[in-house]
Amino acid sequence: MSATREVISTGNELAAIAAVDAGCTFFGGYPLTPSSEVMHVISDLLPKVGGTAIQMEDEIAGICCVIGAAMSGARALTATSGPGVSLKAENLGLAQMAEVPLVLVNVMRGGPSTGLPTRVSQGDIKQASNPSHGDYRSITLCAGNLAECYTETVRAFNLADRFMQPVIVLLDETIGHMHGKAMLPTAEEVKAGIVPRKTFDGPAEEYRPYECGPTEAATLNPMFEGYRYHYTGLHHDAMGFPTEEIETCRKLIQRLEDKVMAHQDEIELNEEFMMDDLTGEEGEVLIIAYGSVSLAAKEAIRHLRADGIKAGLFRPITIWPSPAAKIKEHTDKIKNVLCVELNIRQYTEEIERASSRLDIEGLYKVNGRAISPYEIVEKVKEVF
Amino acid sequence: MAFNYDKYLRVEKMPTLWCWGCGDGVILKSFIRAVDKLGIKKDDMCVVSGIGCSGRFSSYVDFNTVHTTHGRTIAYATGIKLANPDKHVVCVAGDGDSLAIGGNHTIHGCRRNIDITFIIINNFIYGLTNSQTSPTTPQGMWTVSQKAGNIDPTFDTCKLAIASGASFVARESVNSPKRLEKVITQALEHKGFALVEALSNCHINLGRKNKMNSAMENLDWIDSITVSKKKYDAMSEEEQLNLLPTGILHQDTEVAEYCDMYAEIQKVHQGERKKITQDDFEKKI
Amino acid sequence: MAVMTAPENTPVWVDTVRCKACDICVDACPAGVLSMQQEPTSTLGAMISVIAPDSCIGCNECELSCPDFAIYVADKKEFKFAKLTADSKARQEVIANNGFRLPTDYKEAN
Repeated sequence: MSATREVISTGNELAAIAAVDAGCTFFGGYPLTPSSEVMHVISDLLPKVGGTAIQMEDEIAGICCVIGAAMSGARALTATSGPGVSLKAENLGLAQMAEVPLVLVNVMRGGPSTGLPTRVSQGDIKQASNPSHGDYRSITLCAGNLAECYTETVRAFNLADRFMQPVIVLLDETIGHMHGKAMLPTAEEVKAGIVPRKTFDGPAEEYRPYECGPTEAATLNPMFEGYRYHYTGLHHDAMGFPTEEIETCRKLIQRLEDKVMAHQDEIELNEEFMMDDLTGEEGEVLIIAYGSVSLAAKEAIRHLRADGIKAGLFRPITIWPSPAAKIKEHTDKIKNVLCVELNIRQYTEEIERASSRLDIEGLYKVNGRAISPYEIVEKVKEVF
Repeated sequence: MAFNYDKYLRVEKMPTLWCWGCGDGVILKSFIRAVDKLGIKKDDMCVVSGIGCSGRFSSYVDFNTVHTTHGRTIAYATGIKLANPDKHVVCVAGDGDSLAIGGNHTIHGCRRNIDITFIIINNFIYGLTNSQTSPTTPQGMWTVSQKAGNIDPTFDTCKLAIASGASFVARESVNSPKRLEKVITQALEHKGFALVEALSNCHINLGRKNKMNSAMENLDWIDSITVSKKKYDAMSEEEQLNLLPTGILHQDTEVAEYCDMYAEIQKVHQGERKKITQDDFEKKI
Repeated sequence: MAVMTAPENTPVWVDTVRCKACDICVDACPAGVLSMQQEPTSTLGAMISVIAPDSCIGCNECELSCPDFAIYVADKKEFKFAKLTADSKARQEVIANNGFRLPTDYKEAN
């Protein structure tokens, strides 16, 4: 898609605009700093196009009404922060289990608990990989700049419908509240690029919503159109009815895992910034960062290179599933790897797992303040 | 000819998994007769149920059905209804589901007066999970979580609903299936939040440990604690203490319904009317 | 109204696949039409049986009170139901006092 439409706005507002452009017709949520602006903006945008936005009585009701609307066939959005995701956990699990598509924007703030409501962190990375109990193969995206607050939200809706599950879009508070210019695709392009969920249009008696191949997502027709079936969070059979049958249960959970992992190529998205000339020579530095930290990392890399240090940034845009193969490829080649994040080692542990290396260096900050380019430059010079 | 319930059932799911004599089946039948009486098309109906024995209600009916997490039927239903305001959305939940964990959502569903019909199946206990105290279990009864005797005071479901703003509130028991059918019919017809408390018997869990071993004894007990609204209103406070009035307890057709009010919001944003202000409402606080 | 075709000349009939032998319909009947019978193959060891169809007055109490879609009553327009007699009432009382089972040696008054 192009980047020709100039919009001056904040990250939160761009996420709201993106949702509406991507065909979202329902928003349900609850105010929670620093995500509330998504709700404020979309509560004006949606009714204008015949959609519905509702502020519910609590975070849990916020996600439940979104799941209900999505079950009935609508593209639905909610926005919250860490504490809200904690509250929504059980129902996100139901959406995952029943294969209900929706988009959840999490504008990350200092945690845990009430933490630092108005300050930045990237502390919900691990939570995003499984907000609920039981096995949960998450699809989580992270915007690394203003334009991505828009484009990643659009991508999230298409991924949600493609894989029939919740998709989390992480904005850290810095990006959510950042105000500036974003170059976006046009609304028409986005509309033309909408890939809605698959539906079954054969005879109703032949419809089996949850019967599909081992790496496929369920085909869930909108309600009220002649195809009646059952939604439940229990293990279920082809029509959605509860069952405890051994093979049915095993196949279901395995399919929920494999429908994502077998198609990672459709989900993975990374940025490789100034990595073209990294060949694995002595002294090269690979920085891994995401979200607003990547902006500081890019600036740091310019300074490092000016100081004669060949540094590059690997930035996962799709955080979960992680780009494990790419991480391994790069970390096999480059000796000096620094992971920079606004939490304590949450993604570093995934880097370690994917790379099979335990010597990954890290720069972590958890006091609610941003990491500056200089801190990254200092750290690189200190450890490598 | 006899009434053909099978038309509305997922017959392959019969017999139900409810215990022998469980009132839930009577409520299901009353509901089906009500739907049939109103000629509601199967594709225009969505039934949302919670967790518990009553939660299985939705899997037995051949409508668009949802079995939610514990306590959240109203929240899910609010999303379904707002996204599809011209369809029928019915919630079915137990006393624990709707008044304990789901209390908040029940209150706000009533407050919004959104056009949902809420059938609360009150069997005075947590049945499915074997006899824990619910917010309607009478004090002094034996429950598995309070074996020394229940000390928790009880809610009056209907009073709570009326205070929260529901515009239709009724109560019947499984001892009166025809009256139950009638209030469910009226609830479905009512535009606004319509709450029907259906008193049911759980002789297997509540009854067995509280001197009501059989369905009949449990039903007799329910009979002994219910009385028509007309008789109830004429009683003294002392007489009323241990009785629950049945019938339509509250009905107001003049209260604005939430989806209708939201349609006005859409008109504001589409430039078809001026903004909504306090002048649009009789109630200013 | 959703209707089913009734079996001919039958005031009340049962679905023994769905019946859970809960006794409620037997308790509800005023006319001694129904009784539980021993049935070793069913879960509770008992099963509903229509033992005196000719006494059925078509009050519908059994169908209304059955939670399991297991008993049906013909439409008044299509079947001429009996009137409630003293014999029927007497038989019902015996059934109700005998664990909802008609004693095997029960003799009608007439």
